[in-house]
Amino acid sequence: MADTPWWASEDVWRKWAIWVTAIMAVVLIFLTFDSVATITAGSKRVPGYDVINKRIYYTYNAERNMQEPVIGGDAPLFGKALSPQEAEDLVTLGKLTVQAKNCMNCHTLLGNGAYYAPDLTKAWLDPAWGAESVREQLMVSFLMDPTANARTYGTGRRMPQLGITEDEARGVVAFLKWMSSIDTNGFPKGFTPIRQEDAS
Amino acid sequence: MNVAAFNSANLNSGQKVAVKYFAVAMILFLAQCLFGLLAGLQFIMPDFLYNILDFNVNRMVHINAMVVWMLYGFIGSVYWLVEEESGTELVGAKLANLNFWILTIAVAIVVVVYLFVQTGPGTKETLWLINEGREYIEAPRWADIGIVVCVLIFFYNVAATFMKGKWSGISGVLVLDLVALAGLYLAGMFYTTNISVDQYWWWWVIHLWVEATWEVLVGCIMAWGLMKTLGARRKIVTTWLYIEVALMFGSGILGLGHHYFWIGTPEYWLSIGGFFSALEPIPLVAMVVHAVYDSGRHNFRNSNHPALAWLIAHAFGNFFGAGVWGFMHTLPQINLYTHGTQWSASHGHLAFFGAYATIIIAMIYIAVQKWRGDVWMSADLPDNGWKWKWSLGLLNLGVVGMTVALLISGYEQSFVERALGGSTWAAYFSAQATPWFMQGMHWRMLFGVMTMIGVVLLLWDLVTIGKGETRPAIDPTIAAATA
Amino acid sequence: MIDPVATQHIMAAAIAGALIILFGAVYALLFALSRLQQRPGLMLWAYTAYAILIGAVWVLSTTLNLTGFWQVIAAVMVIGYFVAPRLIWHLCAGTHVSEAHTG
Ligand code: HEM
Ligand code: HEM
Ligand SMILES: [Fe+2]
Repeated sequence: MADTPWWASEDVWRKWAIWVTAIMAVVLIFLTFDSVATITAGSKRVPGYDVINKRIYYTYNAERNMQEPVIGGDAPLFGKALSPQEAEDLVTLGKLTVQAKNCMNCHTLLGNGAYYAPDLTKAWLDPAWGAESVREQLMVSFLMDPTANARTYGTGRRMPQLGITEDEARGVVAFLKWMSSIDTNGFPKGFTPIRQEDAS
Repeated sequence: MNVAAFNSANLNSGQKVAVKYFAVAMILFLAQCLFGLLAGLQFIMPDFLYNILDFNVNRMVHINAMVVWMLYGFIGSVYWLVEEESGTELVGAKLANLNFWILTIAVAIVVVVYLFVQTGPGTKETLWLINEGREYIEAPRWADIGIVVCVLIFFYNVAATFMKGKWSGISGVLVLDLVALAGLYLAGMFYTTNISVDQYWWWWVIHLWVEATWEVLVGCIMAWGLMKTLGARRKIVTTWLYIEVALMFGSGILGLGHHYFWIGTPEYWLSIGGFFSALEPIPLVAMVVHAVYDSGRHNFRNSNHPALAWLIAHAFGNFFGAGVWGFMHTLPQINLYTHGTQWSASHGHLAFFGAYATIIIAMIYIAVQKWRGDVWMSADLPDNGWKWKWSLGLLNLGVVGMTVALLISGYEQSFVERALGGSTWAAYFSAQATPWFMQGMHWRMLFGVMTMIGVVLLLWDLVTIGKGETRPAIDPTIAAATA
Repeated sequence: MIDPVATQHIMAAAIAGALIILFGAVYALLFALSRLQQRPGLMLWAYTAYAILIGAVWVLSTTLNLTGFWQVIAAVMVIGYFVAPRLIWHLCAGTHVSEAHTG
């Protein structure tokens, strides 16, 4: 019976398995500390919740070769400037509603979820809402009665009645506005935002 | 020897629990496909069950049934092999039984609430009681906690049994992997408003499950299965398990980066994700080559043809679904177009089916054989074994057909919506309405029905195969030694 | 920095990606079979598969406009998918030497 060469032996591979796993896990944990710090709300890539008091738009950054979000002047949501705490509460209501109504099993958020309905990452900036000045109200009415306000662009797919209240709808709109300010490295590809009424 | 019927006297006490898990797994597999068909139909007939059983509910049940049946399949597989591998009796057979019933009742309650309550107000209570609203791990928080407790009991039972009996390389990897698998679930159990942070941890659960811990878990099952069905040698099988762990964790842990391109995380993930994803197929290639090498060296006579066929389906399914279909859309230059489109669904179907459904089905065939009293399951079955052959064929063809159909729709989607349309809602819908996209949806239904027929046949075969068989099984260890 | 694939090349890039993995495996399998069954003729086919892989990497890197770091990844794939199958073969052979018979 010939001997197994050392590099193919059980012992050597047990050690490799342990060391490789340990090193990769440590690197991941290290990167996680860094990443979580960069995506905490209030950082450069993920603005604080009170960004909903501001105008959000996109410009092309040639150096990064992608569209990136820019935070402009005052543009309070529903015409009322909120304190950071109030803004966070409103966005939190929105996020809870998004989870409670199971939005992600039809839509994608940041590109993750289901593929039955459009991506919501930049829904706030979508040209479908017509003009900047009317979109907030249009969004609230749509969320509260998607059947009556359906626009299916010929696909026949309508959003169901989810029993969203007016408060919840406002929260969702705040959440969507905040989410549209996240720097997503140019996703979704080539996004064309709503026409900016008074370019800042 | 009783050869006419299922007879639990043929099973050890771990295996008696295992077959219960397997039974529920197969029922949930049927439910999964049923709700998949409902969801798929809604792409073609959007008014079907509108405001009654909407797409989001059907899809949630579809993918949750999948996750749960696969976990049941894994738990069952571990209970199946624990006594033979440890050389001693399961320490808590009663506990295992109780645990099974609690878990199953909890699953039933969750499903009933999904179907009949569906959604709740935007409060934390909804997330605790009804639905957490996060893909794959929608189960409400009470159920999360229940699942963790049940998994801990399961874990105690398994680890204590090995402790009382003997450890082996396979059981060592298995137990450590179970710790990681359960621990990762905790990363999905908290609420945060910050969607970027939410998705960051959510992918720890999803990716580090399917591309790391689940792969290693099925590696353990495969190692054990090869010894059982083919009489492969323990030393070799164990060495290859370590090789797999090193390659799989070496590429898969940081391969997580391919989900961190667009969720707000820093740009260095583009490079890390791209690099490690390029390595991820290597362990899968290694497994296929080793399997072929092994069967080339030995003239294996195997004791269970359906099980071996499904193990082969696993090797190829894992390679194509995860390796080929995964790499195809993984580099960020392409993923920018394909992220969150039917491409992902195409890959998801082939990978989950090819890597995990297959091997669990193989284990269940191994279980059924023993449950019947270790009867013959090689060539020359009565009826020519048409049921297992047809269900194997229909299921694989059905899933491959759906995968190709979704790929065509996905290509059309990324092209029309992303490349030409400017990624707006109007662009999304115009892509969805194109004839190519819609044809893909129709073909998916056709192949979905084929898959469903395959499932029904599979279940029928599982309850009938080996019935009335009088020939004993081939002993693979003797067969291998004389080959 | 990434330069996303041009619209007309999405299909070509995806197919090239799939072919890299597919022919990586074909090469690995043929290589192993050729050694295992002592059929040198198969080795020619193994290298043909590898040549297709190189072609696919080339298509991938031109369609994806790979530069800098990304070209390094392409190079790693060309080298890695050449070496890995050989290492896998040696591991197969190495782990099985303890088996009494030679098949
Ligand atoms: C058995 C192993 C695997 C399974 C079960 C699996 C399953 C899945 C599923 C279900 C998704 C969609 C997730 C969602 O709902 O958003 C996904 C996404 C993805 N997978 Fe895998 N996968 C596996 C292995 C791999 C491998 C080996 C690679 C790379 C080489 C890969 C690359 C990707 C990528 C890049 C995405 C993101 C798609 C997107 O951007 O939307 N996967 N995988
Ligand atoms: C009976 C045939 C089946 C049909 C008709 C079907 C249909 C569907 C549909 C309509 C979706 C939602 C996709 C979307 O959001 O647009 C889906 C998602 C999914 N299905 Fe199936 N399915 C079937 C079988 C299976 C099987 C056998 C598996 C795996 C074992 C599976 C795994 C999945 C996964 C992982 C997802 C989520 C994909 C993602 O998010 O990317 N399905 N299926
Ligand atoms: Fe992944």
